[in-house]
Amino acid sequence: MKNYFVLAAAFMLFAVSSSAQKFFTKSGKIEFDATTSSSPEKIEGVNKTATCVLDSKSGALQFSVLMKGFAFERALMEEHFNENYVESNKFPRAEFKGTVANNDAVNYSKDGTYSVTVKGKLTLHGVTKDVETAGKLTVQGGKVSAVATFPVLLADYNVTIPGLVADKVAKTAKIGVTCALEPLKN
Amino acid sequence: MKRKKIFIYTLLVLLVAGTGAGFYIYKEYNRKHKDTANLKPDFSAPAAQLLGEFGKDEKSANAKYLGKVLQVDGLVKDIVKDEKGFYTIVVGDTASMSSVRCSIDSVYNGQGATVNKGTAIAVKGICSGYNADEMLGSDLILNRAVIEKN
Repeated sequence: MKNYFVLAAAFMLFAVSSSAQKFFTKSGKIEFDATTSSSPEKIEGVNKTATCVLDSKSGALQFSVLMKGFAFERALMEEHFNENYVESNKFPRAEFKGTVANNDAVNYSKDGTYSVTVKGKLTLHGVTKDVETAGKLTVQGGKVSAVATFPVLLADYNVTIPGLVADKVAKTAKIGVTCALEPLKN
Repeated sequence: MKRKKIFIYTLLVLLVAGTGAGFYIYKEYNRKHKDTANLKPDFSAPAAQLLGEFGKDEKSANAKYLGKVLQVDGLVKDIVKDEKGFYTIVVGDTASMSSVRCSIDSVYNGQGATVNKGTAIAVKGICSGYNADEMLGSDLILNRAVIEKN
């Protein structure tokens, strides 16, 4: 009888330690910056409702972000972003599906900061392209935070900039990602 | 003499038009976001009904609700505060994984602190869209939200 207890306890301990395999957030932050040296002001929007899931075992990484969720300081800029550039009514969502290429180098059970390479496919404005970027994963107290910045050439995703403002909007937008991921309890 | 008069009038008209256009551009450029608190909701519905509509047919629900002012009724499932102190109120049925996530307008952020878990609430916000996810539960996102009834 006692043995069963030990066995059950051991099993429960095992279950707890192995359950934190997937990490997620629904309030990831994605920043969009298309400011160039000739821009009269900052052209940047921020979205704080990105969904992100990371599977620590396989390194699979997924993002989903609603284009209408990008907030710009100027109402006019936000409308132009939605209506003329990313056409968020037609393409409401941007998605990234990829993997942490060097996932073996990350020890998810040990606190620390790990440099990672993320590879995958980004779908934006109805166009899917391969992207690769360097980022950082920080493991602390069973939680994982993910930070990365990468460039997106707007023309790659059929986002056209009207001639009138062509020299005032960057052709390559900087995308910044900051996510605090929590372990997913099953 | 007549020619000179026409010239002056033309100049005057152009000047007025130019000033008008300039003023319009200036105003448009500096236009602020509309205050959600002063906007009338285009639709008002319980959280479960909205989530049902999006779950059944996201495309037509998007066509109906995207960018519109939505008032959602339901129970407060969770209150999330980000690292800068901004609140997100999660509205929905605790038995269901899906919910309506309302990012509180930064101007009205103080309202977030007055909300209690498990109580009935009505939140008004701009519909940003729907994130379908089988594992994490699907979410309908409202931005620039304000609390109507608490």
